Amino acid sequence: MSALRALALLAALGCAPAAGAHKGAPLAEPDFVPPAPGSYTLHRIMAAPDGRVLGTDGRAQSLARYTRDQITLLGFIYTTCADPEGCPLAYRVFDALKDAIAATPKLHGKVRFVTLSFDPARDSPAVMRHYAGSRAVEKKGGLRWYFLTTGSARELMPLVEGFGQDVRVTYDRSGARPKRELSHVLKVFLIDRLGDVREIYTSTFLYPRLVLNDIETLLMEEAGEDGRVPAMK
Amino acid sequence: MDHKNVVRIIGVFAAACLLFTHAASADETCNSPYISKLIKGQEDYVYVWTLGVDGMGDGSDKLVTVDVNPKSKSYGKVLHSVSTGTRAEAHHMGFTDDRRQLWAGGLSENRIWVFDIATDPAKPKLVRTIGDLGDKSGYLGPHTYYALPGRMLVQALSNTKDKGGVTGMVLYSNQGKHLASYAMPTSAGGDGYGYDLAVNPKKNVLLTSSFTGYANYMRPLGDLIKDGEAMKKFGNTMAVWDLKAIKPVKTLAVPGAPLEIRWSLNPRDNWAITAAALTSKLWLVKQDAKGEWQAKEVGTIGDPAKIPLPVDISITRDGKGLWVNTFMDGKTRYFDLSKPEAPRQTYEKVTGKQVNMISQSWDGKRVYITSSLLANWDKGGADNEQFLRGFAWNGKELTQAFEVDFAREKLGRAHHMKLGSKALRSAAAGG
Repeated sequence: MSALRALALLAALGCAPAAGAHKGAPLAEPDFVPPAPGSYTLHRIMAAPDGRVLGTDGRAQSLARYTRDQITLLGFIYTTCADPEGCPLAYRVFDALKDAIAATPKLHGKVRFVTLSFDPARDSPAVMRHYAGSRAVEKKGGLRWYFLTTGSARELMPLVEGFGQDVRVTYDRSGARPKRELSHVLKVFLIDRLGDVREIYTSTFLYPRLVLNDIETLLMEEAGEDGRVPAMK
Repeated sequence: MDHKNVVRIIGVFAAACLLFTHAASADETCNSPYISKLIKGQEDYVYVWTLGVDGMGDGSDKLVTVDVNPKSKSYGKVLHSVSTGTRAEAHHMGFTDDRRQLWAGGLSENRIWVFDIATDPAKPKLVRTIGDLGDKSGYLGPHTYYALPGRMLVQALSNTKDKGGVTGMVLYSNQGKHLASYAMPTSAGGDGYGYDLAVNPKKNVLLTSSFTGYANYMRPLGDLIKDGEAMKKFGNTMAVWDLKAIKPVKTLAVPGAPLEIRWSLNPRDNWAITAAALTSKLWLVKQDAKGEWQAKEVGTIGDPAKIPLPVDISITRDGKGLWVNTFMDGKTRYFDLSKPEAPRQTYEKVTGKQVNMISQSWDGKRVYITSSLLANWDKGGADNEQFLRGFAWNGKELTQAFEVDFAREKLGRAHHMKLGSKALRSAAAGG
């Protein structure tokens, strides 16, 4: 590693907080009684897109490897995001769900989490490894939580567009010169074992209890407990 | 797609790390709360979904872009028009949740036109036509286009079987794939009719209202009002739905065709307001002390005996004020909603010989009005003005700032409006 690269990595690691650093007020409970698992339908909104991603070890893999054969909860983040209603909220919800799933034996081995950066220039595999901290380590009864990034914006954009995770240009005109910025809206995607997106949560509907209900709904569908024929592909 | 600019932009972004990630609680006062991009400053464009008129221009329905930025050299002028090549009673439209596309439909055909407004916001481009709504659902006349995350919930007005008012909603993916259909409730007080829909995610509530079917809305108004039996076939209900499950949970009696539904945008509020067209009444939908959703008549618009016909309402971003357009007398009224249980009219002005839709900017300082209700319900002769008029509102007086004469420009009947901005050009387009 060159001195310059080492310096850049150190600087990046210094900027990027570990995901566990995202603290905040306790997660709010919904102000309504959600429908019971299995009492509603989660539609097949679209097939989850595929593309090349990098694990925390730097190895390239197909994203499909992380979105098939188990129920997947996938969220886009960038490690320096500080908006409390954005990436940190998603992380806190994932963290709460991880604990809930660990405490629910029937969900063991059924669910995985994927956190995918849309800031490949800053969020290298090493930065993502630092961000993940101990969360990526599977504990007994827990689940696998994968922290992924991409090698470049060229590899990232088809995934962003495929999921409908909008990234847009804005202009801050408050200063002397217009400053170009990008913005996105928090979205978390629930993907079934066949790789179809079945629910999309924004911050207004991202409650652990709702997500757990949806996971149970998918499991009931798989088991044929909702009266429907299990989906074939 | 062209990734070059995206790559460059991502590079800039990585350095800047300036992302705003929370979902907007509302749009320019009347859109789905799931729509992500508010125009909080000066809007650049008003998109006008325009009914074609036989012998006027190409006679087809079209999406017209009007420049509404006062600093622009072409302020108040038509910038662009994209024709559908057919005439299908163009009516309403709605943004997808990412505000990259605008879905627009007609009431006489089961087609939905999807326009790309992100690549060049000044020049929308027709990118897709969805034509399976009738085949998939049995419904007719797609009216309201309401964004849900990754999906569009469409409220229809009629059905293909008898063209009456019993209808439903249809759920599509943003890619235009039919996902599900939902019948309006016909039991427990439900009349099966539909018109508008609006959601309150905080309460997991979807509200719907009710109008009438194709057999009535495509009929000349003069004939219709003389037909007592036909006049009975208007909706008299609103329905409360479980938003997550999209299942009806309660029917509310709201007589006289309750039309547009507006939830208060104030984060502390959890009430919605609507106007019943035939009775000229304002209704408030709110939970009672037990948490039950109830509808309550709270105000009167003009003199109901003269049937002013309230046809559109627009709520201010703070939930403290409501614009009401009444078609027959051409008036635009402002109601003080500080006490939503007792709205009080504080202003009125004749803004046209016939007025229909009304939209306002996020800051409430600019108000836009169009003229057309339905092709066969618009007035005749000199009263059949067709326009988009822009007004300035200083809190006391509406002052007209510009007018586009849609007849003189050979465009057609000006109906629904949505606001646009140059800043909403997509990253993929290179900014």
